[in-house]
Amino acid sequence: MTQADDPFLLVHAYCDGELDPANALAFERRMAADPRLAAERDRIVALKRAMTRLKPAALPPAALRSRVEQAVGLRRRAGRPTWSALAASVGLAVILSTAATWSVLAPGRAGLVEDEVLGSHIRALMGAQPFDIASSDRHTVKPWFNGRIVQSPRVVDLAAEGFPLVGGRIDVIARIPVPSLVYRYQKHLISVTATQGLGAPPRGRAADGYHLIGWTDGGVSYWAVSDVGVHELEKFVQLFRNAPTDG
Amino acid sequence: MNDERTRFANVVLPHLGDAYALARWLARNDSDAEDIVQEACLRAFRGIAGFGDVNARAWLLSIVRNTAFTWLKKHRDPRLVAVENIELVEAAAPEQDGGPFAGPSSPEASLIERADAARLEAAIGALPEEFRETLVLRDLQGLDYRAIAEVTGVPIGTVMSRLARARRRLMAQLGKDTE
Repeated sequence: MTQADDPFLLVHAYCDGELDPANALAFERRMAADPRLAAERDRIVALKRAMTRLKPAALPPAALRSRVEQAVGLRRRAGRPTWSALAASVGLAVILSTAATWSVLAPGRAGLVEDEVLGSHIRALMGAQPFDIASSDRHTVKPWFNGRIVQSPRVVDLAAEGFPLVGGRIDVIARIPVPSLVYRYQKHLISVTATQGLGAPPRGRAADGYHLIGWTDGGVSYWAVSDVGVHELEKFVQLFRNAPTDG
Repeated sequence: MNDERTRFANVVLPHLGDAYALARWLARNDSDAEDIVQEACLRAFRGIAGFGDVNARAWLLSIVRNTAFTWLKKHRDPRLVAVENIELVEAAAPEQDGGPFAGPSSPEASLIERADAARLEAAIGALPEEFRETLVLRDLQGLDYRAIAEVTGVPIGTVMSRLARARRRLMAQLGKDTE
């Protein structure tokens, strides 16, 4: 048996979403016929679930960041970073990343919005917490937006699919406050920002290790941004779009 | 501020957290992980002109893992560091994990799923380096197979077999009841 069709390797690729739909379908038939394969799949899924419960990776110590910045000459003075210096360096990184992506993005309003959406996600990751309200309950998150912004966003529950909701926040895009939902996938966060009247989002874009996938639904433009793999983000977007909403 | 520093701040700094997380998993020690990340960042800075704007995160992680292996070889007992060709060694040795044909009666999925986080973390820490690295990149850092192949510099087939072996070991271990 060659490696390419060893079912006990393919079952991992199946669980990791690495098979294209035709191969995934063929593999599902194979699993249905072979209880050993189905059992292996169950164990892999169980292991992947167990791994989501590992405590989140420790943030790099602030001292490490400043050591690195000093080493490359981004920071001049040695010694303990003060809180204001730390905040300034975070601010600088955000400004730099925004300024630099700007030039490679398509001109026009959508490019600018895209840039601000990505910038908001990066900024959120650097904050104490990436959301203004922490809740995994969409019936808490959705009403939270009411009264703060004109239109509250579509909030769906994808916890069973491995993308639990963790909260929501308000971003300011093109000077307009807009809702962003925050979902988690393993150790990564996915921001979904909803905008209206700011132009259609691009279908897919990658910049600096982040992926952005956009779509339009019922007159609302959605922008999903994350540093997860593009396959995971596509899967998330597909699930988000297909999930039922109850208002 | 010159272009290279701007580029470094733009390309490398946003992924410092991932770099540190990977270094910790490889070194299993916080202060070694910090030294590794600092050295990797310096290497990244020197090589920033050659970075092709493709996947900054995968690019940085590949520098981190290369730096980590060089660093660990230099600072630790070389016998503790991964052998070059772990697949060959593994192939020669009998399967320690019961192999893929363990069948549905062995390690129960529910036992695996309920595994205590500390036990799971220890089991991951005990994996051979190449297996651990592949598993961490896939399941904790969410890279796809293609990106893992790029980061670790091996074909996708090797990524698949390392991942399968890593997971099989964990499943066999966690599927056992703790007496």
